[in-house]
Amino acid sequence: MIRYILITLAFGVVAGYLNNNFGNLVAGNFISDYLFNFSLMLLLFVMGLTFGMDKEALAKLRKTGLKILTVPFAVALGSILGGFIGGLILGVNVFASMAVSAGYGWYTLAGPLVGQLFGAEFGALGFTVNFLRELLTITTISLTVRIDKYAPIAFGGATTMDTTLPIIVRYCGSEMLITAFASGFTLSLIAPFTIATIATLR
Amino acid sequence: MLNLLVPLVAGTLLGYLLRNRRRFDIGSVTFWVIITLIFSLGFSIGSSNELLSSLPRVGLNAVVILFLAVLFSVVFVKSARKVVKMT
Repeated sequence: MIRYILITLAFGVVAGYLNNNFGNLVAGNFISDYLFNFSLMLLLFVMGLTFGMDKEALAKLRKTGLKILTVPFAVALGSILGGFIGGLILGVNVFASMAVSAGYGWYTLAGPLVGQLFGAEFGALGFTVNFLRELLTITTISLTVRIDKYAPIAFGGATTMDTTLPIIVRYCGSEMLITAFASGFTLSLIAPFTIATIATLR
Repeated sequence: MLNLLVPLVAGTLLGYLLRNRRRFDIGSVTFWVIITLIFSLGFSIGSSNELLSSLPRVGLNAVVILFLAVLFSVVFVKSARKVVKMT
Protein backbone atom coordinates (compact mmCIF):
# COMPACT_ATOMS: atom_id res chain seq x y z
CA MET A 1 0.00 0.00 0.00
CA ILE A 2 2.60 2.52 1.12
CA ARG A 3 4.64 1.81 -2.01
CA TYR A 4 1.74 2.82 -4.24
CA ILE A 5 1.14 5.92 -2.17
CA LEU A 6 4.75 7.07 -2.41
CA ILE A 7 4.92 6.43 -6.16
CA THR A 8 1.64 8.29 -6.68
CA LEU A 9 2.82 11.18 -4.51
CA ALA A 10 6.09 11.49 -6.44
CA PHE A 11 4.24 11.22 -9.74
CA GLY A 12 1.80 13.94 -8.62
CA VAL A 13 4.60 16.29 -7.56
CA VAL A 14 6.39 15.88 -10.91
CA ALA A 15 3.15 16.29 -12.85
CA GLY A 16 2.22 19.41 -10.88
CA TYR A 17 5.68 20.89 -11.34
CA LEU A 18 5.78 20.23 -15.08
CA ASN A 19 2.26 21.50 -15.56
CA ASN A 20 2.92 24.65 -13.59
CA ASN A 21 6.23 25.53 -15.19
CA PHE A 22 5.90 24.19 -18.70
CA GLY A 23 2.66 24.82 -20.44
CA ASN A 24 -0.32 24.50 -18.10
CA LEU A 25 -1.97 21.69 -20.02
CA VAL A 26 -4.67 21.43 -17.39
CA ALA A 27 -5.83 24.24 -15.15
CA GLY A 28 -3.81 23.59 -11.97
CA ASN A 29 -6.69 24.34 -9.66
CA PHE A 30 -8.84 21.73 -11.38
CA ILE A 31 -6.66 19.03 -9.84
CA SER A 32 -5.44 20.88 -6.73
CA ASP A 33 -8.89 22.07 -5.73
CA TYR A 34 -11.72 20.20 -7.43
CA LEU A 35 -10.25 16.72 -7.78
CA PHE A 36 -8.66 16.99 -4.34
CA ASN A 37 -11.85 18.09 -2.61
CA PHE A 38 -14.03 15.69 -4.51
CA SER A 39 -11.88 12.66 -3.70
CA LEU A 40 -11.60 13.81 -0.10
CA MET A 41 -15.35 14.05 0.33
CA LEU A 42 -15.89 10.73 -1.39
CA LEU A 43 -13.28 9.16 0.81
CA LEU A 44 -14.82 10.46 4.02
CA PHE A 45 -18.17 9.12 2.87
CA VAL A 46 -16.74 5.68 2.12
CA MET A 47 -14.86 5.61 5.41
CA GLY A 48 -17.95 6.66 7.31
CA LEU A 49 -19.73 3.77 5.62
CA THR A 50 -17.07 1.30 6.75
CA PHE A 51 -17.15 2.72 10.25
CA GLY A 52 -20.96 2.66 10.49
CA MET A 53 -21.06 -1.00 9.50
CA ASP A 54 -18.37 -1.94 12.00
CA LYS A 55 -20.31 -2.86 15.14
CA GLU A 56 -17.27 -3.21 17.38
CA ALA A 57 -15.99 0.23 16.41
CA LEU A 58 -19.16 1.94 17.59
CA ALA A 59 -19.14 0.05 20.86
CA LYS A 60 -15.50 0.96 21.43
CA LEU A 61 -16.13 4.63 20.76
CA ARG A 62 -19.07 4.65 23.14
CA LYS A 63 -16.80 3.30 25.86
CA THR A 64 -14.07 5.87 25.23
CA GLY A 65 -16.40 8.86 24.89
CA LEU A 66 -14.96 12.29 25.47
CA LYS A 67 -11.63 10.81 26.49
CA ILE A 68 -10.60 10.88 22.82
CA LEU A 69 -10.11 14.63 23.18
CA THR A 70 -7.08 13.85 25.33
CA VAL A 71 -5.24 12.92 22.14
CA PRO A 72 -5.38 16.28 20.30
CA PHE A 73 -4.47 18.26 23.41
CA ALA A 74 -1.51 15.98 24.11
CA VAL A 75 -0.43 16.44 20.47
CA ALA A 76 -0.78 20.22 20.77
CA LEU A 77 1.28 20.40 23.97
CA GLY A 78 3.89 17.99 22.64
CA SER A 79 4.24 19.90 19.37
CA ILE A 80 4.63 23.26 21.08
CA LEU A 81 7.18 21.88 23.56
CA GLY A 82 9.07 20.36 20.64
CA GLY A 83 9.04 23.75 18.92
CA PHE A 84 10.30 25.45 22.10
CA ILE A 85 13.22 23.03 22.59
CA GLY A 86 13.99 23.13 18.87
CA GLY A 87 14.14 26.93 19.00
CA LEU A 88 16.55 26.80 21.95
CA ILE A 89 18.83 24.27 20.22
CA LEU A 90 18.87 26.15 16.92
CA GLY A 91 19.21 29.57 18.56
CA VAL A 92 16.23 31.04 16.73
CA ASN A 93 13.32 33.00 18.21
CA VAL A 94 11.59 30.40 20.40
CA PHE A 95 8.19 32.03 19.98
CA ALA A 96 8.53 31.74 16.22
CA SER A 97 9.60 28.11 16.42
CA MET A 98 6.72 27.34 18.79
CA ALA A 99 4.29 29.03 16.40
CA VAL A 100 5.75 27.02 13.54
CA SER A 101 5.18 23.70 15.31
CA ALA A 102 1.71 24.84 16.40
CA GLY A 103 0.63 24.44 12.79
CA TYR A 104 0.33 20.71 13.63
CA GLY A 105 0.95 19.78 10.00
CA TRP A 106 -1.48 22.24 8.43
CA TYR A 107 1.03 23.92 6.14
CA THR A 108 -1.36 26.01 4.07
CA LEU A 109 -2.33 27.74 7.31
CA ALA A 110 0.98 27.78 9.19
CA GLY A 111 3.03 29.11 6.26
CA PRO A 112 1.06 32.29 5.59
CA LEU A 113 0.01 32.91 9.21
CA VAL A 114 3.47 32.52 10.75
CA GLY A 115 4.87 34.54 7.85
CA GLN A 116 2.50 37.36 8.61
CA LEU A 117 3.24 37.34 12.33
CA PHE A 118 6.99 36.62 12.38
CA GLY A 119 8.22 37.53 8.91
CA ALA A 120 8.77 35.73 5.63
CA GLU A 121 11.75 33.65 6.77
CA PHE A 122 9.70 32.01 9.52
CA GLY A 123 6.81 31.75 7.12
CA ALA A 124 8.94 29.56 4.90
CA LEU A 125 9.96 27.55 7.97
CA GLY A 126 6.32 27.16 8.98
CA PHE A 127 5.47 25.97 5.51
CA THR A 128 8.32 23.46 5.41
CA VAL A 129 7.98 22.01 8.91
CA ASN A 130 4.29 21.39 8.52
CA PHE A 131 4.51 20.14 4.98
CA LEU A 132 7.23 17.69 6.03
CA ARG A 133 5.09 16.63 8.97
CA GLU A 134 2.38 15.49 6.61
CA LEU A 135 4.89 13.78 4.35
CA LEU A 136 6.61 12.09 7.31
CA THR A 137 3.29 10.80 8.61
CA ILE A 138 2.53 9.18 5.25
CA THR A 139 6.00 7.78 4.61
CA THR A 140 6.74 6.36 8.07
CA ILE A 141 3.31 5.00 9.00
CA SER A 142 4.25 1.34 8.67
CA LEU A 143 7.01 1.96 11.25
CA THR A 144 5.23 4.37 13.60
CA VAL A 145 2.20 2.12 13.97
CA ARG A 146 4.54 -0.43 15.57
CA ILE A 147 5.63 2.04 18.28
CA ASP A 148 2.07 2.64 19.34
CA LYS A 149 -1.39 2.41 17.79
CA TYR A 150 -1.82 6.14 18.41
CA ALA A 151 1.62 7.19 17.17
CA PRO A 152 0.48 7.83 13.57
CA ILE A 153 -2.26 10.10 14.91
CA ALA A 154 0.30 11.97 17.01
CA PHE A 155 2.53 12.30 13.96
CA GLY A 156 -0.28 13.44 11.72
CA GLY A 157 -1.53 16.27 13.93
CA ALA A 158 -4.15 18.33 12.12
CA THR A 159 -3.82 16.31 8.92
CA THR A 160 -5.53 13.25 10.44
CA MET A 161 -8.95 14.67 9.58
CA ASP A 162 -8.26 14.62 5.84
CA THR A 163 -5.10 13.75 3.92
CA THR A 164 -3.56 11.19 6.26
CA LEU A 165 -6.88 9.80 7.56
CA PRO A 166 -7.31 7.02 4.98
CA ILE A 167 -3.79 5.76 5.52
CA ILE A 168 -4.19 5.82 9.30
CA VAL A 169 -7.41 3.84 9.08
CA ARG A 170 -5.72 1.39 6.73
CA TYR A 171 -2.89 0.76 9.19
CA CYS A 172 -4.51 1.30 12.60
CA GLY A 173 -7.95 -0.16 11.92
CA SER A 174 -11.38 1.34 11.34
CA GLU A 175 -12.02 1.73 15.07
CA MET A 176 -9.43 4.53 14.99
CA LEU A 177 -11.40 6.52 12.41
CA ILE A 178 -13.28 8.74 14.84
CA THR A 179 -10.27 9.20 17.14
CA ALA A 180 -8.14 10.27 14.19
CA PHE A 181 -10.81 12.50 12.71
CA ALA A 182 -11.68 14.11 16.06
CA SER A 183 -8.01 14.70 16.78
CA GLY A 184 -7.34 16.29 13.41
CA PHE A 185 -10.54 18.31 13.62
CA THR A 186 -9.73 19.68 17.09
CA LEU A 187 -6.15 20.49 16.11
CA SER A 188 -7.30 22.25 12.93
CA LEU A 189 -9.70 24.25 15.05
CA ILE A 190 -7.11 25.32 17.63
CA ALA A 191 -4.14 25.79 15.26
CA PRO A 192 -4.94 29.40 14.25
CA PHE A 193 -5.66 30.33 17.87
CA THR A 194 -2.50 28.77 19.30
CA ILE A 195 -0.33 30.38 16.61
CA ALA A 196 -1.90 33.79 17.23
CA THR A 197 -1.68 33.38 21.01
CA ILE A 198 2.00 32.43 20.87
CA ALA A 199 2.61 35.53 18.73
CA THR A 200 1.05 37.82 21.35
CA LEU A 201 3.23 36.31 24.11
CA ARG A 202 6.56 37.26 22.62
CA MET B 1 -14.91 21.81 7.91
CA LEU B 2 -18.56 21.31 6.95
CA ASN B 3 -17.68 19.84 3.56
CA LEU B 4 -15.77 17.10 5.42
CA LEU B 5 -18.23 16.52 8.25
CA VAL B 6 -21.30 16.11 6.03
CA PRO B 7 -19.98 13.18 3.93
CA LEU B 8 -18.51 11.53 7.03
CA VAL B 9 -21.75 11.71 8.98
CA ALA B 10 -23.83 10.71 5.94
CA GLY B 11 -21.58 7.71 5.29
CA THR B 12 -21.65 6.65 8.93
CA LEU B 13 -25.44 6.85 9.10
CA LEU B 14 -25.87 4.93 5.87
CA GLY B 15 -23.33 2.33 7.02
CA TYR B 16 -25.17 2.01 10.33
CA LEU B 17 -28.47 1.45 8.51
CA LEU B 18 -26.88 -1.13 6.23
CA ARG B 19 -24.92 -2.89 8.98
CA ASN B 20 -26.97 -6.07 8.85
CA ARG B 21 -27.09 -6.28 5.08
CA ARG B 22 -24.75 -8.32 2.94
CA ARG B 23 -21.18 -7.09 3.33
CA PHE B 24 -19.93 -5.56 0.13
CA ASP B 25 -16.26 -5.01 -0.46
CA ILE B 26 -15.36 -1.33 -0.56
CA GLY B 27 -11.67 -1.93 -0.06
CA SER B 28 -10.80 -1.44 -3.72
CA VAL B 29 -12.96 1.71 -3.96
CA THR B 30 -11.10 3.13 -0.97
CA PHE B 31 -7.78 2.25 -2.59
CA TRP B 32 -8.49 4.18 -5.78
CA VAL B 33 -9.92 7.14 -3.95
CA ILE B 34 -6.77 7.28 -1.80
CA ILE B 35 -4.60 7.13 -4.92
CA THR B 36 -6.59 10.00 -6.51
CA LEU B 37 -6.32 12.03 -3.32
CA ILE B 38 -2.58 11.48 -2.94
CA PHE B 39 -2.03 12.34 -6.60
CA SER B 40 -3.88 15.64 -6.31
CA LEU B 41 -2.01 16.38 -3.07
CA GLY B 42 1.29 15.79 -4.86
CA PHE B 43 0.07 17.86 -7.78
CA SER B 44 -0.68 20.87 -5.60
CA ILE B 45 2.73 20.52 -3.89
CA GLY B 46 4.47 20.37 -7.27
CA SER B 47 2.47 23.35 -8.53
CA SER B 48 3.68 25.57 -5.69
CA ASN B 49 7.05 27.04 -6.65
CA GLU B 50 6.98 28.98 -3.38
CA LEU B 51 6.89 25.76 -1.36
CA LEU B 52 9.49 23.95 -3.45
CA SER B 53 11.95 26.84 -3.26
CA SER B 54 11.60 27.24 0.51
CA LEU B 55 12.46 23.57 1.15
CA PRO B 56 16.27 23.66 0.79
CA ARG B 57 16.62 27.13 2.35
CA VAL B 58 15.14 26.24 5.73
CA GLY B 59 15.72 22.49 5.53
CA LEU B 60 17.91 21.77 8.56
CA ASN B 61 15.98 23.99 10.99
CA ALA B 62 12.76 22.43 9.75
CA VAL B 63 14.01 18.88 10.31
CA VAL B 64 15.13 19.65 13.89
CA ILE B 65 11.85 21.35 14.86
CA LEU B 66 9.76 18.68 13.16
CA PHE B 67 11.66 15.84 14.79
CA LEU B 68 11.18 17.29 18.29
CA ALA B 69 7.54 18.19 17.66
CA VAL B 70 6.55 14.67 16.60
CA LEU B 71 8.73 13.08 19.29
CA PHE B 72 7.02 15.00 22.10
CA SER B 73 3.61 14.51 20.48
CA VAL B 74 4.03 10.74 20.62
CA VAL B 75 5.41 10.81 24.17
CA PHE B 76 2.61 13.09 25.40
CA VAL B 77 -0.12 11.05 23.74
CA LYS B 78 1.28 7.87 25.20
CA SER B 79 1.49 9.25 28.73
CA ALA B 80 -1.88 11.05 28.53
CA ARG B 81 -3.53 7.79 27.53
CA LYS B 82 -2.08 6.12 30.61
CA VAL B 83 -3.41 8.90 32.82
CA VAL B 84 -6.98 8.70 31.48
CA LYS B 85 -6.77 4.89 31.08
CA MET B 86 -7.55 4.89 27.37
CA THR B 87 -6.85 1.69 25.47
